Amino acid sequence: MIDPVIDPVTDSAIHPVNGASSTVSVRGLAKSYGRNRVIDDLDLTLGTGVTGLLGPNGAGKTTLLRCLATTLAPDAGRMRVLGLDPGTRGPRTELRRRLGYLPQDSGFYPHFTVFEMVDYVAILKEMTDRATRHKEVRRVLAEVDLGDRARTKVRKLSGGMRQRLALAQALLGQPELLLLDEPTVGLDPEQRLRLRALVSLLGESRTVLLSTHQTEDVAALCERVVVMHGGRVLFDGTPGGLAGVANGRVSLSGERPEGDRLIWRTADGRYRTLGEPPLGAEPAEPTVEDGYLMLLGTSPEPVA
Amino acid sequence: MNGTWHIPSDLLERYLGGDLDVAQVMSVEAHLVRCARCRTAVPGDETWLAASWERIEDAVGSPRPRPAERVLRHLGVPRHLARLLVATPTLSRAWLAAVTAVLTFAIVAAHAAGNGFPAFLTVAPVLPLAGIALAYGRWVDPAHESHAATPLAGPRLLLLRALAVLVTAIALTGLAAPLLPAMTAAWLLPSLALAGGCLALATRVPLPLAAAALGAGWIGVVAVTGGLTGDWSVPFGPTAQVVYGCAAPVLALVLYSRRHRLDPGEPQ
Repeated sequence: MIDPVIDPVTDSAIHPVNGASSTVSVRGLAKSYGRNRVIDDLDLTLGTGVTGLLGPNGAGKTTLLRCLATTLAPDAGRMRVLGLDPGTRGPRTELRRRLGYLPQDSGFYPHFTVFEMVDYVAILKEMTDRATRHKEVRRVLAEVDLGDRARTKVRKLSGGMRQRLALAQALLGQPELLLLDEPTVGLDPEQRLRLRALVSLLGESRTVLLSTHQTEDVAALCERVVVMHGGRVLFDGTPGGLAGVANGRVSLSGERPEGDRLIWRTADGRYRTLGEPPLGAEPAEPTVEDGYLMLLGTSPEPVA
Repeated sequence: MNGTWHIPSDLLERYLGGDLDVAQVMSVEAHLVRCARCRTAVPGDETWLAASWERIEDAVGSPRPRPAERVLRHLGVPRHLARLLVATPTLSRAWLAAVTAVLTFAIVAAHAAGNGFPAFLTVAPVLPLAGIALAYGRWVDPAHESHAATPLAGPRLLLLRALAVLVTAIALTGLAAPLLPAMTAAWLLPSLALAGGCLALATRVPLPLAAAALGAGWIGVVAVTGGLTGDWSVPFGPTAQVVYGCAAPVLALVLYSRRHRLDPGEPQ
């Protein structure tokens, strides 16, 4: 077991990124499905900026996002989102006016066109004036590069296009809080880069919470990363801090080392080892992925 | 059109506001080309021009409404509500086909039985109940999860869809009723009372549960009454109709007063 790593900005759990006032405050959150406790006494505070939520399957990321998006009620705990209590009807409706949510599995009406689908959600977001609404629909479709697909039926879209369509829906109305559950799934490399640029821009003025399995997305665009495991926060800090968890534990060698360490062959034919460096190996710069793997593999206690 | 005619102020106002249809716009613009005096009344500022271009872009760039939406609009339903309603799962073609099949079966049964039409009268009030129960929720709506996080989601959208489903089911049943061996409207008040009761009960228990309980209860009452009295028509007789007629508006009032507590059966 490694020693606990104190990240320099771990205090962001209390003081959000950029020193901004918190837009999300969660204390003692708990949620179970039957006997399976998916979120367990979770504390989290978010402010303006992009925060990445990492964790293995079943860590509780989606459940946390659903609680914040008001589509799922927690069993216990206190939540304040944009200063509002999602547990009561009036504030919950007001919160829904101000948030954008991209769920993990965005369903669509296949017989609708792209324009109709986004227009439908715009109506659900109470945009009743037709001209204003249509202008907003065209704006978000252009943002996700689907402007020329407005008349295409949803059933004819590729997986990546559907993902962008779902993102367009989440962007309607310039939400103050964006909750994105695995937004880069199904996107080709170019679209992923475009999405990173868009999310990064959005994060300059609002709170973006991004759940993902892609550590490179976190490294590229998140100023803060929260690692969840077993329904709890295992790490809360910067991507650099997460990479630092693997400091001195990543090495490169010419021969495949023995042992049960995590080893893979790299493009230059050398072997990258995560864990105790083998004899004669040369130290390597750890990545966010290294830190994440190291954390999940060796640290059962929260690092904060 | 003679040389002394000028565009009336109200018409000009509607033209500037973009409220005229295409033919009227063309007529007004044909006159503007020839009439200097009317042209001076048309602002030439950039804001107005930008707004005009936006309207043109919207007219050209927005897809034409779907046929079902156009029908709803002809019936006086506002444009945005029409779009919301066409996505109701229990207003889909598959659902409407299922309702039609059930009604056809009930009519065939009525002709075959020769002793009245208990099947039709029993089934007709249950159809709106099933439609309402399946009009909203993650199990029936593929886009539910992302839509559930919008302000219109929940009781407001459910009520809107329930009303549309009720009206459609009653209209279909109304169209089927003349095909029975004899004319009857004895299904109408039970339908309204059960639909109102279902939604009112859904302010206390989840909607699918309320619909299932009332549907099963209704079929049970019809069967037991028929079994006990030997007369299947008792639940549809004059006394029962008075009860349904009184219950429907009372239940509607209960629903209205408790509408914010409507439970769509969501985890929230």
